Amino acid sequence: MNNIIEVKNLTKKFGNFIAVNNINFNIKKGEILGFLGPNGAGKTTSIKMINGLLKITSGEILVNGMDANKNRKELKKIMGYMSQKFSLYPLLNSLENIEFFGGVSGLSRKTIKKKEEEIKNMVDPLLLRQNVKDIPPGIRQKISLFVCLMTDPEIIFLDEPTSGVDPEVRRNFWYEIYDLKIRGKTILVSTHNLDEVEYADRILILHHGDLIVEGEPGGLLKKHKKNSIEDLFKDAISNHEQN
Amino acid sequence: MRIFYLVKKEFIEIFRQKELLPLLFIAPIIQIILFGYIVKTDVENIPVEIINLSKNKTSYRIINRIKNTPLFNVKKISYKNRDSISTLKKGNIKAVIIFRDSFNKNKNILKYPEIQILMDGTDSNTSSIAAGYFNGILKKYILSDIEKMDKKLSIENKTLIRFNPALKSINYMGPGIVALLLTIVSLFLASASIVREKEQQTMDTLLISRLTSIEIYIGKALPIAIIGIINMSFSISVVMIWFKIPIRGNLFILFISAIIFLTAILSYGLLISTIVSTQQQALFFSWFSMITFILLSGLFTPTENIPSSLQFLVKINPLSYLIKIIREIFLKGNGIEYFYKDLLCLSFITILVISISISNFKRLISK
Repeated sequence: MNNIIEVKNLTKKFGNFIAVNNINFNIKKGEILGFLGPNGAGKTTSIKMINGLLKITSGEILVNGMDANKNRKELKKIMGYMSQKFSLYPLLNSLENIEFFGGVSGLSRKTIKKKEEEIKNMVDPLLLRQNVKDIPPGIRQKISLFVCLMTDPEIIFLDEPTSGVDPEVRRNFWYEIYDLKIRGKTILVSTHNLDEVEYADRILILHHGDLIVEGEPGGLLKKHKKNSIEDLFKDAISNHEQN
Repeated sequence: MRIFYLVKKEFIEIFRQKELLPLLFIAPIIQIILFGYIVKTDVENIPVEIINLSKNKTSYRIINRIKNTPLFNVKKISYKNRDSISTLKKGNIKAVIIFRDSFNKNKNILKYPEIQILMDGTDSNTSSIAAGYFNGILKKYILSDIEKMDKKLSIENKTLIRFNPALKSINYMGPGIVALLLTIVSLFLASASIVREKEQQTMDTLLISRLTSIEIYIGKALPIAIIGIINMSFSISVVMIWFKIPIRGNLFILFISAIIFLTAILSYGLLISTIVSTQQQALFFSWFSMITFILLSGLFTPTENIPSSLQFLVKINPLSYLIKIIREIFLKGNGIEYFYKDLLCLSFITILVISISISNFKRLISK
């Protein structure tokens, strides 16, 4: 598989604080890449640099061979982003959110109408007409993912998409992610839930802005002689802190 | 077309905040009516006490004139000397007028009594106006005496007041209050606009959409501008219908001036919104800015009273230009040839503020 994203010596500083410290990794087309790390590890910052929401301090990001920093407008067309807290407008109902995001993403009225019909088959129409602030987190997550996929993006960034939802919703959500992978989408997902990374093709563990572990979950467990990702994660963090 | 969806979303967000709607559309009307009655520079019903120690008929005649004018409210007339200072200290009386007989060298009572006025100077404005009124009553009395003797003063002045002949302060304040309300509503809405996106974490989703930074900026400003113009139309109607202040000039030029002003104030509000991190901070910033704009606008006190070293603050205050233009159009019926310099200054300030605001917004989204 070809690399769709190449990250080279990526660094982000906020004043004197180094949020991401000289990291290197690649993402292959059609791959699910899991970003792991405690709060403040640099997961969201890295995602935001790759999708063009944050300027990089130094380094290089190539997406589809294009410099992400210089081709933001072009890359917006092939990227979908679902941020933390699902980023829907709480005072709008789900259908209004879909109309809005579809409209500002350049979809035609006809396509937006089609998308609205599509969501009506997936979610109770009564819930769709309630303001987003009043609907359950699981439905909000579903709508948020739907919105993220409305433009049929090639690369999908999911920033802690399963926070605050119950285990069953999480499991169903991952089935949908798998379905996207089957459809050839590249997915970069950050998460706190260590049990979820078994779904990823490869994982990266970040700590204090450093990339400390990279590889396939099964291979990493074998290599580090660990029984679970949780043990691997704890060990990696503790070793990094000692160094 | 993309911008249409943003404008629609902004309107929905504003109109879904049910607590906000009365504040946006009803409160300004109530405010303008209240302000119209409360914010007055006219001084009426000044509570006075009269101590008449004179036996002269003239003192009775002058007291009668004081009693019959709506400017003074004679609370008490006493014929014995009293402690005037303690009367003023109590605060219910703003002036004590004392009449005493005056005598010539032969100890004969003169025609005109000796009059002393003790004023409560804590409210310097009311005191000086009251003193002026009282002097006016005395002058008129003396003039009528002179006329009775078939004599005339060698110099006589006649004052003719144009544009606001009844000197009603509402005619002066009303149009200014229209500008004030336009500032309040627009500034507060604009300053909360972008920071609300940051707080509810929708800013990133907005930025990753196909909207350009200019489209986001305009999409944020346009709904507030529309609400501001609707509000202004209501306020002007109230001023014209309720307070019966006719507009003598061109309404179209007034609206054009208001739109230029709105652009400046919305840009400033959006600038605040990009700088702050919470809506609470935005509210504080807007409140502080609004008070400064008002104090330096000439709405309540003439800008000529502001020290020359601080006059530059008046010159950079967009509200001072709008208030001046609104009064020119409303009261004097002046055409653009009378205030084009003010309009040009306002336009220059608007271009400056919008440039700073947009460049700051662009910096925010490309951190």
